[in-house]
Amino acid sequence: MTEDHISYIIKDLNYRGIVAEGIQEELIDHICSAVETEMANGSRFIDAYHHTLKSFGHTAGLRETQKQIIQSENNKPINMFKNYFTIAIRNLRKHSFYSFINVAGLSVGLAICFIIILFVKNELSYDKHFVNADRIYRVKSEIQFGGGHYNMLASPPVMAGTLASDYPEVEAAVRFRQRGSWLVKRTVDNIKEEHVIWADKDFFKVFSIPVIAGNPETALMEPNSIAISDRIAAKYFPNENALGQTLILDNDMSVKITAIYQTLPANTHFHFDILIAMEGLEEAKQNVWYSNNFHTYLLLRKGADAKQLEAKFPELVVKRVIPQVMELLGPGFTLEKFKESGNKIEYTLQPLADIHLKSSLQGEFEPNFDMAYIYLFAAIALFILIIACINFMNLSTARSANRAKEVGIRKVMGSFRSHLMRQFLTESILLSFISILMAIIIAYLLLPLFNQLSGRMLFIPFQQPSLYGIIVVAALTVGVLAGIYPSFFLSAFKPVSVLKGHVALGMKSGFIRSALVVFQFTISIFLVIGTLAVYRQLNYIQNKKLGFNKEQVIVVDETFVLGNNRIPFRDELMRNGKIENATMTGFLPVSGTWRSDTPWWVEGRDPAVQENLVSIQNWRVDHEYIKTMGMNIKEGRDFSREFPSDSSAVILNEAALKGFNFPGEVIGSRIATLGDSPSGAPDREHLITLTVVGVVENFHFESLKQNVMPVMMFLSKEPEGAIAFRFQSQNAQDVIQLIENKWKEMAPGQPFSYYFLDQRFGSMYAAEARLGKIFGIFSAIAIVIACLGLFALTSFTAEQRTKEIGIRKVLGASVSSIVMLLSKEFGKLVLIAFILAIPLSWFGIDWWLKDYTYKTEIGVGLYLFAGLAAFLIAWATMSFQSFRAASSDPVKSLKSE
Amino acid sequence: MHSPELLKGTLQTILLKVLKDHGRMYGYEITQRVKELSHGHLLLTEGALYPALHKLEADGLLQTETVMTGKRVRKYYSLTNEGKSLVKERVSEFIEFIRTMGKVLQVQLN
Repeated sequence: MTEDHISYIIKDLNYRGIVAEGIQEELIDHICSAVETEMANGSRFIDAYHHTLKSFGHTAGLRETQKQIIQSENNKPINMFKNYFTIAIRNLRKHSFYSFINVAGLSVGLAICFIIILFVKNELSYDKHFVNADRIYRVKSEIQFGGGHYNMLASPPVMAGTLASDYPEVEAAVRFRQRGSWLVKRTVDNIKEEHVIWADKDFFKVFSIPVIAGNPETALMEPNSIAISDRIAAKYFPNENALGQTLILDNDMSVKITAIYQTLPANTHFHFDILIAMEGLEEAKQNVWYSNNFHTYLLLRKGADAKQLEAKFPELVVKRVIPQVMELLGPGFTLEKFKESGNKIEYTLQPLADIHLKSSLQGEFEPNFDMAYIYLFAAIALFILIIACINFMNLSTARSANRAKEVGIRKVMGSFRSHLMRQFLTESILLSFISILMAIIIAYLLLPLFNQLSGRMLFIPFQQPSLYGIIVVAALTVGVLAGIYPSFFLSAFKPVSVLKGHVALGMKSGFIRSALVVFQFTISIFLVIGTLAVYRQLNYIQNKKLGFNKEQVIVVDETFVLGNNRIPFRDELMRNGKIENATMTGFLPVSGTWRSDTPWWVEGRDPAVQENLVSIQNWRVDHEYIKTMGMNIKEGRDFSREFPSDSSAVILNEAALKGFNFPGEVIGSRIATLGDSPSGAPDREHLITLTVVGVVENFHFESLKQNVMPVMMFLSKEPEGAIAFRFQSQNAQDVIQLIENKWKEMAPGQPFSYYFLDQRFGSMYAAEARLGKIFGIFSAIAIVIACLGLFALTSFTAEQRTKEIGIRKVLGASVSSIVMLLSKEFGKLVLIAFILAIPLSWFGIDWWLKDYTYKTEIGVGLYLFAGLAAFLIAWATMSFQSFRAASSDPVKSLKSE
Repeated sequence: MHSPELLKGTLQTILLKVLKDHGRMYGYEITQRVKELSHGHLLLTEGALYPALHKLEADGLLQTETVMTGKRVRKYYSLTNEGKSLVKERVSEFIEFIRTMGKVLQVQLN
């Protein structure tokens, strides 16, 4: 057989329609082999060929064979999927503008969702890493006494020991006693450490913290022994074994390191770096029930019921607390009278897992988060995702006109509805896969920013296989969610009407579409109004008249290291022209500074009668305090060196005045409290009395969420604490330099630490500021995604109505009237959204502001402003496209068909 | 010559057994071998052979390799491991079928 014969066979088979790849070659080879055999038996080529063809059944048989092979291959699901996939890719590429809008919106939405999920997961994981987390409880106390009402974490020093020894439910108890920051040094230079705490020896028994070196059983048994985190060990003893070494605390306390533990994970509600053995603290050994200064944590026995233990607490109060108070205040005090005047002492238990999200009491170790904000964030994430999904749905259904013909033809060719639905779902799932990959990249890039904003250390757990599972599941879910409605909608077209040209075109059929646009904008406007309200409240706080002047005050901490140089340090600086005034005290009108609260009464009244007692802040200050803080004297006078008798004078604030309810003239009245007996315990026989010389205007010294409490100020015999300087200079840097130089001169080797009063004041509202920022970002993103959708929708309508616009222009319509025509429809929707958003945001703002005793007025203006802003942004988006359509040359749009 | 109808259900068994006995083969070779073994009583039609081969390949029982010779491309079929393990089962299944047929039709098979 010659080459020509083979070429002939190839051509002839081609002519007969055998063209499928793979099959063609195989049949050629088969026929050639058969022909060769016959030719070897003496046949002519052409006879042999036709004889062979006959065995195949000529052209019809050949084609049938080919068809059968192709069909059996096409029936494989993988091929069907491949086909959907190819068509999907072609479609997305053909409409790359819409695909881009979809992917951009969805991926940003998903990225936000992803970050928030990471955040929420992190918040929920707090303290759950402790092995016994479900058995650890914290004692919480609610005390109402002498006009004061306290929800706090402090409990008496003997509480822990009593519970551990007398109550079978309690396996172990640990106390903490906090005392601000400490100075720590190894040899010469002090370093200021914030996370230092006194702790009982059972600390490691209650909290399962891995101990790297030392014996956790015995570590904190001896006085003057400490346990430190490996972070501190590395800081003070780099490349050395820290165990057994010595550190010096606050210049005078030499302590031995008895254990080194792993630094506490970020998701713990405390981050103690140095634990000092409670054995060394005298205060901890007192058998006292009436002073509350310790945090108490309990580890319950397996199977013990916290509720049952809690039920035994009232009995504990009656048996232990009340007798001691009675002894203190005199026989006139009885439990019945105590309760009659609405007072109470109540101890309850708080599960460890609840602390981070559900507790915000006086004395928290670190600021906690709020469960309400977790819900809020989750809702916002969901909303943003929904907005992005709506874009997808709207664009798909709006473009239905373009795909209606495709649907018609496919149906005529024998497609079932399910085939079409699968096709459309494949497209949306493909899009969501692309989006989710983009989202991961965006989230990865945004995470550092978010961490900075939220004060967390979040990261994407790339090494966790479950992440990839979640990605796939999420992509499928979002794809199906976004694609299900369009796929139902599009696949329902009737081929006859579609192919005849009766398609529900563009905007006409869009009730659902309009509703979705309204939904998007309602949420966006709600978020904008929320952001504005948060900022307005922040602004209000910053500018509220506080009763003191927080500007231009610098506060120097840790002045005790100056020793006897304290007073000279202050006085020498006061002589400098830049320093206007200076006061030395630990009691400052910002939270986190010293506080001391005891009951006082008007001299002559019976302290055993509850109504006479006023729970009041006792602030030890100096002569310059009121002047330096810029507080206003309402009545009487300030402390003065001209009156030596001022050593027993007191100045009250207006709230205290109201609390005492003096019978006659206030100035000159005297108030009293229990003094100390020589042993240090309060003594009924020995009263301290002070004379009122002045009344100061109320000033806010805690968050504006709280009312102003009664405060009394008297002169300290030995001033101590921080020194606050009021300076008069535009350049704060110069003042810092000035003070620091003096510090270095008088306290060499000691760390110089300072803060500005207004900054510390601002940090009291850090949570609000953060909320404002996060809210602002979220609402911006929501608006951008919603506008992206609107942009695509308008451009689509403009495209649909090109001919109409052309004709209108030919008939004399102006550009502006056409822009109006195109924007009117969506403008209406934004307006409806605005009206819906108003009540929603009103409720939201009302809910948020109810925590604040002092709050700003949210006027109509804010709503109008937000609505107008949203409307303008939406309108600008639309008019860009509308204007382009309206200003195009009608000749171009009309001449082609 | 036997009726093609009878052949239909047994085609896959034949192909698997032939390929097991001879290793790799191409389409025409298979038809010739079957013709030879049956003394001309069994003629595999190409219209039945190729779809069957492609199906067995898609099911993963056969593998293929192509060899170029000038303008012609020859495609060889051979059994995969899965295919090999299946042959014996298929053949004994078929023998069982013949025995059953013998009983149903009341004839004695030698």
